[in-house]
Amino acid sequence: MTAARPLPWISLRALITFAVVVLVLWTGPLVLPLGDYTHNIIGLTFMFMAAALAWNWLGGFVGQISFGHSAMFGVGGFVAARLMLAFGLPTVVGWLVGGLVAGGYALLWGHPTLRLRGPYFSIATIGVGEATRLIATYWSDFTGGSSGLSLPLSSGPTKYQLYWYGLYLLVAAVAISYWLRRSRIGLALLAIKEDVEAAADVGVNATRYQDLVLFLSGTMVGVCGGFYASYQAFIDPQDMFSFDRSISLILMTVIGGIGTVLGATGGAVVFVIIQEFLLANYSQLYLGLYGILLILIILFEPLGLTGLLLRLRRLIGYRRLPADAGGPASTAAGSATEAAAAEGQKGMAEEAQP
Amino acid sequence: MREALTLAISAILLAGFYAAMAYGLGLIYGVLRIVNLAHGGIIMAAAYLTWQLFDRFGIDPYLAIPIAVVVFFLIGVGLYLGLVRFLPRGPAGAVQSLLLLFGVWLVIRNIVYLLFTGNDQAIQTRYATSSAGILGAHYSVTRILVFLVAVVALVALHLLLTRTYLGKAIRAVAQNPDSCTLAGINVERVYAFTFGLGTALAGLAGVLASTLFAFNPSFGASELLKSFVIIVLGGMGSVLGIASGAVVLAFAEVFSIYVVPPYLTTAVGFVLLVVVLVLRPGGLFGQRVLR
Repeated sequence: MTAARPLPWISLRALITFAVVVLVLWTGPLVLPLGDYTHNIIGLTFMFMAAALAWNWLGGFVGQISFGHSAMFGVGGFVAARLMLAFGLPTVVGWLVGGLVAGGYALLWGHPTLRLRGPYFSIATIGVGEATRLIATYWSDFTGGSSGLSLPLSSGPTKYQLYWYGLYLLVAAVAISYWLRRSRIGLALLAIKEDVEAAADVGVNATRYQDLVLFLSGTMVGVCGGFYASYQAFIDPQDMFSFDRSISLILMTVIGGIGTVLGATGGAVVFVIIQEFLLANYSQLYLGLYGILLILIILFEPLGLTGLLLRLRRLIGYRRLPADAGGPASTAAGSATEAAAAEGQKGMAEEAQP
Repeated sequence: MREALTLAISAILLAGFYAAMAYGLGLIYGVLRIVNLAHGGIIMAAAYLTWQLFDRFGIDPYLAIPIAVVVFFLIGVGLYLGLVRFLPRGPAGAVQSLLLLFGVWLVIRNIVYLLFTGNDQAIQTRYATSSAGILGAHYSVTRILVFLVAVVALVALHLLLTRTYLGKAIRAVAQNPDSCTLAGINVERVYAFTFGLGTALAGLAGVLASTLFAFNPSFGASELLKSFVIIVLGGMGSVLGIASGAVVLAFAEVFSIYVVPPYLTTAVGFVLLVVVLVLRPGGLFGQRVLR
């Protein structure tokens, strides 16, 4: 199946573009005079991008919409915080262990529920999120209950340094995304998304693949939770495990374009911009605004920003390159998501720049 | 023993409310194959409507039922004609309908929040504190009334679905929309009506909930979850199936106080959901189709 491709799962051009973008982002704060606020927000945006990508592995690649990813975000955050507080573990080790515990937790509830498809799985995840939030709120020995946990400020990276940690997190998430999308696994996931039973008929072990994706997704979101704990230096269960947190991951991905790497990252940028610049002043309107955005996207452009970009490209493409077989033709063939993913590989550069 | 009997009666009273609450979700899923994720939001909005009618105009919650049913029927038809109609049918539309109706839920929450703030509200009727005795134990009058209203509504619905032409059309569309078109049934109209009916039932559940619980704009998430547990437990269609699903959930929740702390009651429903979905994916009684 994959033999026809010169490189297994990523083209050289995309790799170089990606490396350049990362380099620009890495050196950016050293060269440009960014204010503290902007600098920190961009760092936080990297984390949100990584988390949205991780949600997208399950929601976009496998087609299992999770409304309960706050559970792993919270577990990762609290485990990391507890480890740092109790044993003085280095921050990154804390995040990693927190992430792995979150991944394990995801498997714990996910292994049985991932046998369900579509709405059944989605509603089950609402239950997971709510149950986890309740347990976390009342298990105050571990989470500090409603008064939360404060992290030691003296140890670990400063908020300024967290920018680069966030960038590494994003790089890892993008790399895993492409691996999941472009490797043989990606084909299996696509088969599962389209038709589980047909996938099983051609020898795709849906349970194993879905478990793998959920574990990776949970681990990454858990690490993001750890990052968030370090970033805020204070966490409480109501915030970490809130339904809104699960919603935000869905929104980022849907705004950008569900099922695409480009979309999830771009959506996170838009989300943070809306959150920080528009809604700081209209905090009472944010849920409704996101609701309206969700409705409009689903009705008019189910692929979100990616879909808009594709349309734009098609418009330009028709004028300049009428014989461009890759763009319009494959989209017309029906697999818009696929075309968008291919697009994501090329256009990722612009999107990674907040 | 005596305590167990008291708890059992409590559970049955609760099950009546649960069945009325779940039926709207089950009806819409049975006919349109769409999970109405705005279900919880509708319940919450109806609770607020009832509270406003009571607070401003002094209308008793139980007299507000017809108003709420009509209002939410129209809202449901409007939602279908304005939004849901445009979704693709089949599995491709499943994800989109979830997200779309989720968006509707967010909008409802925000509107209610803007109008009435995020504070907890409750309805205090004159009879809210009175109680009546059944088999030697006392239960609040409100809970008994809620149970009776729910039973009447379910019986009426059962008659509508089995005894009228419209009901037959709904059940036919649930089984095979394409052949219904051939038989001269206006499928789109049946869809609109069904969505309206399901929403009206959620509205009814909201009125009943407003007399039982305090509520705020985020009210409804666990109601949605419980409704879903019930339709999975009992199968999608029949009144009897929904009622038995409601009884199972209510008993599990009420008797769970022997085992788990009270704040985990919501989790009981969830555990039940996972266990049933994994062990018996067709529901407890192996019936999922609206017949």
